[in-house]
This record gives sequence, C-alpha cells and structure tokens, in this order.
Amino acid sequence: MLKAPASVNTLMTLDQILPPERTLFDVTGGSKKRVLEFFSTFIAQNTPSLDSQEVFSRLIGRERLGSTGVGNGVAIPHARSPHCRQPMASFLRLAEPVDFDAIDGEPVDLVFVLLVPEAAEDAHLALLAQVAELLNSADTRTALRNAESQHQLYDTMVNAIHHLSAQA
Amino acid sequence: MQVCNNVLITHRYEKRHVNGPESLYLVGGLLVTFSILASRVSAKVGMPLLPLFLGIGMLAGEDGLGIEFHNYALANVISQLGLAIILFDGGLRTRMKTFRVGLRPALSLATLGVFLTSGLTGLVAMWIFGLSPLEGLLVGAIVGSTDAAAVFSMVSGAGIKLNERVGATLEIESGTNDPMAIFLTIMLSEMLIGSLGSPIATIFMFVQQFGIGLAFGIGFGWLFGRLLKWLELAPGLYSLLAVALGVVLFSITNMLGGSGFLAIYLAGLLIGNMRGRHLEFILPVNDGLAWLSQIGLFITLGLLVTPSAMFDYAVPAAVVALALIFVARPLAVVLCLRPFFGFRWKELTFISWVGLRGAVPIVLAIVPVITGVENSALYFNVAFFVVLISLLLQGTTLAPLARWLKIVVPEGVTPLRRRLLDVLPDDNYEMFIYRIDSKRVEDIPLRMLRFPSGSTIAALFRDRQMIHPKGSTRLRHDDLACVIGISDDLPALNKLFDGEARLRQEREFYGAFTLEGDAPMRDVADAYGLTLSESERDRTLGEFIAHRVGGYPVVGDDIDWHGIHWVVNEVDGNRVIRVGLRLH
Repeated sequence: MLKAPASVNTLMTLDQILPPERTLFDVTGGSKKRVLEFFSTFIAQNTPSLDSQEVFSRLIGRERLGSTGVGNGVAIPHARSPHCRQPMASFLRLAEPVDFDAIDGEPVDLVFVLLVPEAAEDAHLALLAQVAELLNSADTRTALRNAESQHQLYDTMVNAIHHLSAQA
Repeated sequence: MQVCNNVLITHRYEKRHVNGPESLYLVGGLLVTFSILASRVSAKVGMPLLPLFLGIGMLAGEDGLGIEFHNYALANVISQLGLAIILFDGGLRTRMKTFRVGLRPALSLATLGVFLTSGLTGLVAMWIFGLSPLEGLLVGAIVGSTDAAAVFSMVSGAGIKLNERVGATLEIESGTNDPMAIFLTIMLSEMLIGSLGSPIATIFMFVQQFGIGLAFGIGFGWLFGRLLKWLELAPGLYSLLAVALGVVLFSITNMLGGSGFLAIYLAGLLIGNMRGRHLEFILPVNDGLAWLSQIGLFITLGLLVTPSAMFDYAVPAAVVALALIFVARPLAVVLCLRPFFGFRWKELTFISWVGLRGAVPIVLAIVPVITGVENSALYFNVAFFVVLISLLLQGTTLAPLARWLKIVVPEGVTPLRRRLLDVLPDDNYEMFIYRIDSKRVEDIPLRMLRFPSGSTIAALFRDRQMIHPKGSTRLRHDDLACVIGISDDLPALNKLFDGEARLRQEREFYGAFTLEGDAPMRDVADAYGLTLSESERDRTLGEFIAHRVGGYPVVGDDIDWHGIHWVVNEVDGNRVIRVGLRLH
C-alpha cells in the first residue's frame, strides 16, 4: 500500500536531510553575507538543480525581514526555493564567529541552513522548529563547538538529533 | 447592630480606670504593629493581606479581646480620609503611558460597568433579602466598584507580569470606578431618606459631582505638580506637602458638591506623571501612608462588625457575593468591553475575575448608617461578606488563573534598585544596580561587553568589597554592578544582564525567530508561503498584526495564522517593532 505524502513528511527527520557531506567544519566566515554566499555556492555545486544566485538572494531576502541569528551564537538561515524538491539541510561551523545582527547581539559561529520546496507544508515548519529546539540546548552547542574534526562534528550533530527525537 | 455614637475605643478602659489617651495610643499602635508584622508572615504563606487586617480587627473587637467600637461617625471620618489617600497613591503610581491601551476600556468599565454590576447585584440582593428596588440597588452600589490597592497588591504580590492591555485596564479601572460607586451610594441613600427629589435634581447632582471633580482634579493636580517640582524642600517634606495639598483639594471639592475622590485621584495622577527628584521622596512615603490607610480601614471594619450578630446574614450575603463574582461582574465586563474594544475571551475572563472588592465597599457601607437609612446593619454586613469572599476567593486564585489563561508575559531582568543621580537639575541620569546572574556576562572583560554608549559601570561590589572596575575586570556570579546611564538605556542594559534562564523563557514565549515590524507583508508571505488578500500585501507585518489584534497592540499579543504563532515582541506606541514566530 502506498503511503500518503503527508505521512512521509511527518516521518521526515533532520538526520535524513543532513548528509555528512553537507556538514562543514571550520568554514572561513568573514561576514554574514560572505557566509551565505559561501553556502549558496557550495549548495549549488552539491545539488545541481539549485542556482547559487537564486539561493543566495532568497536567504538574504529572509534576513532582511529580521535576522535568523537566534542567540547563543546560533543562526538558522532558511528559505523556500522553487528548484528544491526535498527539504535539505546543511550545517556550518565557522572558524571565527561573525556578526549576524543576532537577537542577543552575540556573534555567530554555528550556522544551520534549511532549504525547503515552494509548496507550503506544515512539515517544513516542523523541521524548522526542530532545528531551533536542537540548538536551544546548551550541551549540544558546547559539544558542537568542541568537535575536533568534520567527522566528529557530524557524529555530534546526528547524536543530538537522535537524542532530541528520542525525547519527543 | 446599633449606632452608639459615644462609645469610643477608650470607653471600656476608662471604666477600668486606665487614664488618659495612653490606652488609645497603645491599642492603636499595637494593632498597626501586629498588622505589619503579620503581613510578613502572610507573604511567606501566600495568604492575602487585607482579610488578615480584617481578622486582626475582629480579634481585637467585642467578640475577641473585647474592644467595643460602634462609633460610626468616627469610622466615617477615618475611612473617608483613608480612601482618599489610597486613591491619591493609586493616581501617583499610574503611568499615563498606559492610557494608550487602558483608558478607554477602563472608563467604559468605570461608568457603564459600575452601573451594570451594581444593578445586577442589586436585583439579586432585592430578591434574597426581600428589599425594595431602591434598597436592593443600594446594596449593589455599595459593592459596585473594584479596589485599586487590592487588585495591585494581589497582582504584584503574586509575582506575575500581565500583558499591558489587561494590566492597564484593571489599574485605571480600579482607580476611576470609585467615584461612580460613591455617587450611586450617596444618591440612593438620599433617595431612601427622601432628601433627594426629582430626577432633574439627581442629574444635576451627577453633573456637579463629576464636573467639579474632573475640573478641580486636573486643574489643581497640574498646579500642585508644578509647585512640588519647583519647590526646594527638605526631602521628608515633599510627601507631607503632597498629601496635605491632596487633602485640601479633597475637602474643597467635596464642599463645593464635587467628587473629592475623583479630584484627589486625578491630582495624584498629574503629580505622579511629572518626573523629577521630588517623586523619589513622595512615592515611598505615600506607599506607606496608603498601607496605613488600608490597615486602618480594615481594622476599623473588623472592630465595627459584631461577628456573633452576623451569622444570620452569612448565607444570603454569600449568595449576593457569588452572584456578583460569577454573574454581575462577568456580564458587565463582557457588555462593556467586548463590543467596543479588541479584547480576547481569555482577557475578558481574567478581567472579570479581578473584580476584587476592598476598602471602598467598607467606606460606602458606613454611608447608609450615617445618613440614617432604615435597616442599615444589613448593608454593612452584606458589604463585609462580599469583601471577605471576594478577597479570599478571587485574591488567592489570581496568579494561577493568569498563568493558566496565558496572559502573563515573561519578565526579563530589571535592576535591583534604581535612583535618580540628581547631579544636574533636569538630567535624567540614573544609577541602576544589577546582581550578576548570567553566564553571558560572567568572566568576560568589561570592555568586551556591549554597554549602550553613554552608560558605564561605576562601581562593582564583590564579597562586600568595592572593586574599581577597569576594562580588564571580569564580572563574577553574584557581583553587584552599579551602572550609570540615562533612563532610555534601561532596556538595553536589562537585555545585557539577562540570564539564560530568562532568555530561554522568552524564547519559549516569543518563539525562536524574530521578524521586524516594518518588514513588508508580501516578503513575509513569500518567505513562508502564506496566502494574502490584495489589501494585505501592501501592509507591513507590524500593521498586519496590529490590525488583527484590534489596533492597539501590546507585547504578548498573539495570533495563530498559517500554522505559526505570531507573537508581538516589542511595541512603540501603537507601532509593532518586532514580532516573534513560534512554530509549535
């Protein structure tokens, strides 16, 4: 029997949309704009259907409405994209914190990007909520900051995601 | 209960050959002392304060320790003055800034609301006690107004921060509804003894009461405020002068047939809203005077009642009280607010429940006795039960209800203390004292902290020692920081010293993400895939939300829309500055 699309979406968890190759260790930051530019170029190379210029302008457009720097050195840039078929996530740990106009004024070094398809789905909002909750934990943030390699960073992130879904 | 004008507190003691006024001083002093000491205990166990004072009065009274006090004339003198001072203090503490969201709904409650509450309660009293319509209405009028001091001591004592719309409405309502109830009581009392004739005379009296009260209150209030700001006095004299001026205004207004209570409340309001050094001296003393008035009023009532003679009234009076609490007040609140103002049901529910009765019914219950209305004991005993039940039932359940209805907004860090520096005339430099309790500022060199420009840490206290702060000094947990800055820096400073626990609470309330109020709605819709009508596309997010909540947004207002909870995070007047997005 075929599952309805909605139930597929509700089963979608963060680790399914965050593959190891999209977890980036010690990214050179510079500025908020540079970080988003870097990500857009990276994601366009990683996923050929996406256009770097388009992703960048959507992310920047969202930042103009209010910074996605949610405090404690965390930013969660997010946008919808017409060329995006599945929700996709990417996590960047910056080598040096950058000013992100965050809500608490703190510079940001943990950047979790979420791109979702155009069609409005509650499941996408649920994903965004999960990301926010994930990085709301002080222990998780410390563990991510202490990771010493890309591999360790990814494992830490996946562990945190599992821990979160086990709690829920 | 009987009216015996000549039986003073001292009466019994004179018979026992205790000479002079000393026994009176002793009894009075002891009563106040016990009340104040008991207030500490009651704060610990969470028992409402006002019924406690009442209890102390009753314990000391004729069925307790045996002080016989039936002097209604003296009680009237004490209680009128006490109420005037309580209202004055209420005015001093009301910030006119809150008028933006609170004034119109509060006035609706203070006029029409008092009418409806009194009328409905009066009908019930008429039916229960078999009274004539006029007598029934008199019962309603006596218990018709809410009590400012009771509302605010209960709300602040419960340690909750209400959203501004609810807080301001309750505050202004409780300050302004007393003159209406007082007017109704006096009018009905005079009608009952037949000294008030035609409807025209009644209307004239109404216009006179409120017209003179309003004009004198605003006119003299402004004048007194200027005078107090301008005068150079010893610190202790400011508040005495303020009270003396207030009492003069109160009596002159009354003599001319105006409402002295309205006038003194308005005078307090105007004086309290002229910022300056004098307020620093006036407010704490007036706070004490208002407490003394509360204590005096409730002890007097406690002494006046004869508990053993009240059992007959207990059941029917309780029915009146419950009818007031569960029927009359909620109906009046809904009828006065729902059609005209953007209140939500949970806010209406809370406002209905915070119809606390306090000192005013006690003062008013003495009026029929003084005017010589027949069967005056009835009014007095009913007022007693209504106040007691209201304070015990509503007073103790306020805070849980506010939390349950979710009209509480998270409270960020505020300075432990703040003082005007008073270095230059008219400067608004203040000293703010913060206790450091936030990992975000601990162990970070001071020069790395983002202080608002123009403010600075002047001194630091650690382990009872003063430390001279330098750029390299690192704050520690439990340090006391004295920060000098202007009043406008306060929000930024509060944010700087806010601890994680509070920030987490705030994030939970407002949501993780924040949007600017001036973000164009079409862009917001694009970012989150929302559908908008044509007219909505041209608005900003702030305008959109403000419109949705009825035009007068307050922090904590929220709407559920497209699976997102949109929560107003910051406002400037009627403009929404920031909006939080709560996603689940």
